[in-house]
Amino acid sequence: MRGWLAAIVVAGCAGAGVALATADDQAADTQASPRTSSVGMPVRIEQLMLPGSELEARPIADRETPIVLRVVDAFRHGSGFRYDLEYYGLEPGTYDLRDYFRRKDGSGTEELPAIVVEITSLLPPGQVLPHALEPRPTPRLGGYRALLVAAGVLWIAGLIAIRMVGRQRRRAQAAASVARISLAERLEPLVRRAIDGELTPKEEAELERLLLDYWRQRLQLDDSDPALALAELREHPEAGELLRNVETWLHSPEGAGQVNIAEVMQPYRDLPHEPEQQSASTVKA
Amino acid sequence: MSVDQRGSPPAPAIVEFIDQVRRRVAEVVVGQDVVVERLLIALLTSGHVLLQGVPGLAKTLLVSALARTIALDFKRIQFTVDLLPSDILGSEILDQKTHEFRTHQGPIFTNLLLADEINRAAPKVQSALLEAMQERKVTIGNTTYTLPAPFLVIATQNPVEQSGTFELPEAQLDRFMLCHRLKYPSRDEEKEVLRRNSLLGIHREGSGAVARTEFDAVTHEPVAQPEDLVAAMEAVQQIHVSDTFTDHVVALVDRTRHHPHIDLGCSPRAGIALIKAARARALIHHRNYVVPEDLFALAEDTMLHRMRLTYEALAEGLTGELVLRSLLNDFGGAKSNGELVR
Repeated sequence: MRGWLAAIVVAGCAGAGVALATADDQAADTQASPRTSSVGMPVRIEQLMLPGSELEARPIADRETPIVLRVVDAFRHGSGFRYDLEYYGLEPGTYDLRDYFRRKDGSGTEELPAIVVEITSLLPPGQVLPHALEPRPTPRLGGYRALLVAAGVLWIAGLIAIRMVGRQRRRAQAAASVARISLAERLEPLVRRAIDGELTPKEEAELERLLLDYWRQRLQLDDSDPALALAELREHPEAGELLRNVETWLHSPEGAGQVNIAEVMQPYRDLPHEPEQQSASTVKA
Repeated sequence: MSVDQRGSPPAPAIVEFIDQVRRRVAEVVVGQDVVVERLLIALLTSGHVLLQGVPGLAKTLLVSALARTIALDFKRIQFTVDLLPSDILGSEILDQKTHEFRTHQGPIFTNLLLADEINRAAPKVQSALLEAMQERKVTIGNTTYTLPAPFLVIATQNPVEQSGTFELPEAQLDRFMLCHRLKYPSRDEEKEVLRRNSLLGIHREGSGAVARTEFDAVTHEPVAQPEDLVAAMEAVQQIHVSDTFTDHVVALVDRTRHHPHIDLGCSPRAGIALIKAARARALIHHRNYVVPEDLFALAEDTMLHRMRLTYEALAEGLTGELVLRSLLNDFGGAKSNGELVR
């Protein structure tokens, strides 16, 4: 019986000694021999025993971090934890993975042993690197939706501007039409000079044109075809006689000798001076 | 100063000649009095006519009837895209027997030439014809030939089916003294056309027969000779044009150059054409002087094809006809410029 007890104690001491030796070996391993890997190649560390409360990978705060660390799994191990880890390096150099841990409970990580890793580059020395990209301004402010909104606002503003300009133009035209000299006012001096026989050839032509306009307006033939309207005027009992007389006077080779101009022009001597009104059929182009 | 102070009344023989021609054409062609008048004007003034109208308005029949009425030589060319200038003007051909070149004169050597659908030919063919129209001479090889007198080109254009056509540019349209837009006949006229067509019957040829067409109804016996036409042409030169009428023409042409809706106004050739055509029209209407009615009747045919509207006017749906009508309706400038009277 005593022999059995002695054997168990010896075996237990030997086991404890082996366990302590393994832990010491792991600690020495984390501190002394850095794991080496090339840039971008993932490396896995399994069953790494680390003291203290549970650890997690520190979130990546910027794009400049040289090491990306991930805690694959964690197992409770006495007062500490055993971890399966995975990491890869982005920049060549020697790094301590301890800097990329944090405690879940927020306590410090000072008591952790150093976990040194080395990231090497496969590129030959003196490798020419591409130029760093220069920051550029964004091509336009906002996206497609903002562009649509801006275009819509511009379109509405343009529409309003066009309507306002059109309204102003109509007002100006209306004012001009009120201020325009009436047909009767233009006819009167020409008729008077015709009766007195003082018209120049240019004024004679103007007189005939105005007489044609006068009768076309008076008989409301503005909508008619001009040639048909003139034919109708020539057939009119009052206008026709006048126009035929004027034609004989101004166009016939015999000329004024055949026509008593004063008698023909007499009805047009005192036309009422009403302001010229725009015809209802007049449309602005 | 008047263009012509003589103004002698038209001789009865000339009046009879014109009336006979109109009557004979009217026997075959129903309505279209205005077109017949325009063709006569062109004949009397040595101008050329461009007829715009959809197919089936008796353009060819009209010209054919007119040619036979005055005993004039008549030829017709159907313009196509593969037509060559030599197809119209003629060419030099190597005679295999004599081993010498001899000249083959093209269909342009005629009195009345109907250029059907002129806008279907390539521009170089159009140019060849229009040069001959202006100079009345044709050069084949090293020899220049004078075209027969009278020489009148009546070209037609179809205002629809514009694909595959070469639109005549303004400079070439300007060569046509008149550009007349044919309209559909009235209902009564169309009824008369159908009635006459139903009475045509058939034409026996040997043991067979073909249906008679309107062309078979054209009487081959002319009512006048080219000498009568020459006498009428001389009579046109006697028609009196007053200073007042000339002033009207100048004023109207000038207004086309300053109208806000017109990009390209009428050239002086428009005024020349208007006065020449007005003199011929006065003769046709048995007058010895022109009157404003002639101007109003001919303004569209002499001026419209010499004007080009602005882009803005076209975008607003305006047409040259509307703009010219607004100018004529405001002949004295009583209304403000730029307003359009529909």
